[in-house]
Amino acid sequence: MSQGYTGEIIQHHADGRKEGEYLSVNVDFVLLPDPTLALLLSELKALGGQIWNKEKILVTVDHFAPPSTVERANIVKEVISFAMDNEIPYCSIYQGICHQLLVEGPWLKPGMLVLGADSHTTMAGALGCLATGMGSTDILYTLVTGKTWLRPPETVQIDLKGKLPLYIMGKDIILELLGRFGEGGFLYQALEFYDNDGVIPMDDRFAVCNMVVEGGAKNGLFRPDKVTRKYLNDRDGHRRSHLGSFGNGNPQYTQRIGIDLSSLNPKVALPHSPAHVMDVGEVKGEVIQQVFIGSCTGGRLRDLESAARLLRKRKIAPGMRLLVTPASQKIYQRSIEKGYIQTILEAGGVILNPSCGPCGGIDKGILGAEERCLSTSNRNFQGRMGDPSSKVFLASSLTAAASALTGKITDPREVL
Amino acid sequence: MGLPETISGRVWKLGDHVNTDILHPPNYFSLDEKRMKEGIGKGMERLSIDPNEGSSGHGLLIMAGENFGCGSSRETSVRGLRASGIKGIVAASFARIFFRSLINLGIPSCESREIQKWVRDGDWIHLSMKEGWIELSNGRRFPFSPLDPHIKNILEAGGLIPYLRRERDGI
Repeated sequence: MSQGYTGEIIQHHADGRKEGEYLSVNVDFVLLPDPTLALLLSELKALGGQIWNKEKILVTVDHFAPPSTVERANIVKEVISFAMDNEIPYCSIYQGICHQLLVEGPWLKPGMLVLGADSHTTMAGALGCLATGMGSTDILYTLVTGKTWLRPPETVQIDLKGKLPLYIMGKDIILELLGRFGEGGFLYQALEFYDNDGVIPMDDRFAVCNMVVEGGAKNGLFRPDKVTRKYLNDRDGHRRSHLGSFGNGNPQYTQRIGIDLSSLNPKVALPHSPAHVMDVGEVKGEVIQQVFIGSCTGGRLRDLESAARLLRKRKIAPGMRLLVTPASQKIYQRSIEKGYIQTILEAGGVILNPSCGPCGGIDKGILGAEERCLSTSNRNFQGRMGDPSSKVFLASSLTAAASALTGKITDPREVL
Repeated sequence: MGLPETISGRVWKLGDHVNTDILHPPNYFSLDEKRMKEGIGKGMERLSIDPNEGSSGHGLLIMAGENFGCGSSRETSVRGLRASGIKGIVAASFARIFFRSLINLGIPSCESREIQKWVRDGDWIHLSMKEGWIELSNGRRFPFSPLDPHIKNILEAGGLIPYLRRERDGI
């Protein structure tokens, strides 16, 4: 009997060493985006520079992609030199946001233990992994030893029931959860989602797991099911993907929460907290100057498809700036093939290259004083996206596209 | 290295859910420690805390509310605190990545809810990680639950990198 699938995965990876409540565990894969990797390179060198297994890491240049200041250009240069000098087999430069690349590549499967030097690494939990983010020093420890120390968390079962309405996306589901339990409502806990009817597309599951960290959770995962299997089959180009042997135990939970999908309304998180959530009806009419559809939370194919559906044969409001960032080059290309990019351009939108961009206040699309933006990203903390007096509202890409058309926060049902 | 007997200093008092983006605005991300420290200065300005550098010959401690350090994993926020002379942190609760990074960089950190309402910005406190208490300037003591042995081992080593070196030499 273990605490959820998370407990089972931890037990399965434990190497037998224990200190207090912490277990030493073997790590299957590590994600290394440019800024946080750069922070550990000098210490890595001082420790001898040896990496435990080069086949089990993915280096990405995605935050400063391409760099907009000299200091960032030097960081990117250092990261690329590191990857080339060490002959790191998986190094991705300007190909997309690290979390998206991690789930597009062939590496992950259910039951794995995955770390990343970025808090939104929780996203990979949608594939049934235990995936969590850590700071650079923790990641350095893993790079050298192949291990980390974990405290097995309490687990919470989240039952998602009912049909998914056309106007509801993964973003609305996670905002509902954050609104109900608050920022830090799941501190140190693992969230395990059961999509009992297999109705939630993988792109939406990624959005849900991406943002569990905003509730303070250590990780969030979806119980592997037919949606997982189909995703893995499509990804790997065969029909033999199996969901691993884990999950055969009898997972126990300290808490159980139910969400009725069919009764959800589209949600908006108000400034300055992802947990300050209301139904779109309660905030509609709020004037905004910018809409951002992108990031590791809201820049996937289903996001661009949803936005294009609303933007088709329409124009964005006068004075509005609509910025769209596909989360990866692969999504970008698929969106071109499917005509989404053309639709967005015709509506008056601007396409930025796949990268983190304005979400982390990095470049292109930063907000000026008092400006208001509706964003499909994950955080609306004060000053994160620009001037400290600017305000960011978080919502799904459907709500974002509807709002770009009217210039104010709009219920997508009014435009669909 | 190792844990000092007691840590004494003036307090920066912060509220609940202080996230890393406000504590250390993203455009202060840098590999340069001086710039990391400037980011903390900007964060304190936004949080309306007077960092009072004039008295920084003495130690500084942070007393924060719930979920301290939520948000980004960028370790620059913690390195900035270290560069600003923060010797220890007491919070009602910590966000997990932030807590790990504080311990990993050897900054003694513990949880206490009871003490929150008794401490104001600028007060002087003493912290004993070894014995597990926080003392106010009027002598009143608040115990906190003992450190997990793993956390203690890392702090006693001086952080995760020295811990790793010890571990490696031991094997």
